[in-house]
Amino acid sequence: MRGRAVIATLLGCAALGACARQAAAPAPVTSAAPPAVAYEAHLAAGGIAPPGGTLTNPHAGDAAVAKNGALLFTTMNCDGCHGGGGSGWVGPNLGDGRWRYGGSDAEVFSSIFYGRPKGMPAFGGVLGSEGVWTLVTYLRSLPLPGDLPTESWEQP
Amino acid sequence: MSRPFTLRDPARDNARGMQRASVLVCLVWLGAVSAAGAAPATVAPAAEDGQWTMPGKNYSATRYSGLTQINARNARALHPVWTFSTGVLAGHEGQPLVVGNTMYVVTPWPNVLYAFDLSKEGYPLRWKYRPDVSANALGVACCDAVNRGAFYADGKIIYNLLDGHTVAIDARSGRELWKVAVADMRSGETTTMAPFVVKDRVIVGASGGEFGIYGWLKGLELGTGQMAWMGHNIGPDAGMLIQADTFRPPYGTTPDEGAHSWANDSWKTGGAPVWGWISYDPELDLIYYGTGNAAPYNPEQRAGDNKWSASVLARRPQTGALVWAYQFTPHDSWDYDATGAMVLADLTIGGKAVKALVHFDKNGFAYTLDRATGRVLLAETYVPVNWAKSVDRANGRPVQDASKQTGATQGNVKGICPSLEGGVSPNSPPAYSPRTHLFYTSTNNLCMEYETGHASYTKGTPYIGVNSPYLAGPGGYLGSFIAWDATSGRKIWEDKEPYPTWSGALVTGGDVAFYGTLDGWFKAVDAHTGALLSKFKVGSGVVGNPITWRGPDGKQYVAIYAGVGGDWALLAGDTRSDDPTDVRLPPDFMKDIARHTSQGGLIWVFGL
Repeated sequence: MRGRAVIATLLGCAALGACARQAAAPAPVTSAAPPAVAYEAHLAAGGIAPPGGTLTNPHAGDAAVAKNGALLFTTMNCDGCHGGGGSGWVGPNLGDGRWRYGGSDAEVFSSIFYGRPKGMPAFGGVLGSEGVWTLVTYLRSLPLPGDLPTESWEQP
Repeated sequence: MSRPFTLRDPARDNARGMQRASVLVCLVWLGAVSAAGAAPATVAPAAEDGQWTMPGKNYSATRYSGLTQINARNARALHPVWTFSTGVLAGHEGQPLVVGNTMYVVTPWPNVLYAFDLSKEGYPLRWKYRPDVSANALGVACCDAVNRGAFYADGKIIYNLLDGHTVAIDARSGRELWKVAVADMRSGETTTMAPFVVKDRVIVGASGGEFGIYGWLKGLELGTGQMAWMGHNIGPDAGMLIQADTFRPPYGTTPDEGAHSWANDSWKTGGAPVWGWISYDPELDLIYYGTGNAAPYNPEQRAGDNKWSASVLARRPQTGALVWAYQFTPHDSWDYDATGAMVLADLTIGGKAVKALVHFDKNGFAYTLDRATGRVLLAETYVPVNWAKSVDRANGRPVQDASKQTGATQGNVKGICPSLEGGVSPNSPPAYSPRTHLFYTSTNNLCMEYETGHASYTKGTPYIGVNSPYLAGPGGYLGSFIAWDATSGRKIWEDKEPYPTWSGALVTGGDVAFYGTLDGWFKAVDAHTGALLSKFKVGSGVVGNPITWRGPDGKQYVAIYAGVGGDWALLAGDTRSDDPTDVRLPPDFMKDIARHTSQGGLIWVFGL
């Protein structure tokens, strides 16, 4: 119990820091940084999920925002690492329906906002929450390819 | 700066008799594929110590070894005698070193340095050095986590870590002697090249042409790693270490041309990285190196010649002073880095002895320059080229085809040859034989579309702005290995390959040339004719450079890395299998490469 309380406090501190940074820039309500993230894709020890907030994409499914996100993906040079259309370069393919750090909107948001180890910079400081949600909306709009697991060179 | 390092016990001698594995080797013997056109061997091989102590074998970067034991008559008997997994899957560019009885191998990130004892059965490790290299570098290196090798000097193995550090390791004990920060990842800089040592200077540069760096070269103190000088490759004269009275480019210059040839101060984020090879002429006391592309890829954001990106620069090693520079590709609009090797050779052209510098540029021209002045003696295409018709020897400038000019207002410019992978990749250095008087190099036969748009600059992140799909060049093949006469600008023979050819070249006193292929073959060919002498499938595509040496047993050996990667792991990401969350489609122009190779990370040694 004590351990959990400490973690919650740490998360709160981190969230306060993030909020303070965000508060400096004029931004809509959706720009507020999350208090914490519940990681859907992670295994929770004992099946008990740690405390965490819920992030909701304010633009989920909005085709116009997705189109803006495609533009942002290019102008911010996301394709410099992830390839044109997110098809993969030094960074992983973002259009194959597979996610290293979880593929829910909230998890993709966290990957972009806070960065990830092995090279993904934290873009939250440059883009703000609104910019990151715009990118998330674009990535979620990418059409998933068909039969991926098997690649055959034999004639059927 | 030096950090404590715990030395491991040296590997114990395994006293068992030699029990080399019997390996079934696929050997193919083909007849001559083209007529011999080489000059007779008139130059006796220089004294050969049988080692390989620097990336290009010697200061001239010829990748020529005078060893003669392996020759065109017996090369068919070449077979693997040893192999070792590096435990790393990124692209294995560069080459091992052999100093005395030890072979040194640097891996891609995390840049482990292995020291193998060649005097014992199975080549056990004497030690390995495992530096703490930041994983953030993986997101700053543009094109895979590659390393192009180490340099041996003064009892030290000196090499770069991907995260912007240079280290000097005691070659005997493996202890770290110094480690210094030379490049700044926060500005988009990483360090993939092999350092180069002249006297008491360690010369290093930084990658980052895709991150809008302000490209530079540095000279460090050999004893301590402390910086002695830094010369930028672009920008105002003072930053470039230019003094008006001693800077003499062959076709003239104006004060601060490195700044004025970039509209709107765009040199500040103009790239011109250094990620290739360096050579040195002790008589002229000049080091030679090439600079990379101008940034961003949209040339309209940097009107002007963009000097001295895509150029060769000649500097004094002691002070860094710039003596001359020549730009291969003014206003680079195709990502034509000039970071490929500058090979120094004394040639005879038109009956006249010439101190030449020979360079196979990404832009598809092979240049023969006067290395004292930088003047162009000869520039001819060695792969299909259409962005320029020729190089005007009066002013050194390419005669461009306006229809191949790219830019944000030009839309999608189609059918540009060669592609931005280059007529040859700069990471695939050529070789020169003083016996055949020929140069040997891999080539790519690829063309491209180029659709560019405005790129925004965010420090430490990519600054590119292009979509550039590739297509096969004319002729129904994607790469080759060629022999080139740099005195006439003629191809003497060509061994065509089904895939782009991405390895460096080696040529020997036995008149055998060696190279590897993207689909994983290591080949020995007759240096006079190109006839295949032997080949072996090494387990993964080859993007590294072969070396040769005389072992403690007096026998000649040849080594090559297998480990597809660099741009090719990225373009052909389909060859990757190390991440279940990252599945790539095959490239359009080369749909079946993954049928023949996946990632690897192997060192192979071949002998007779």
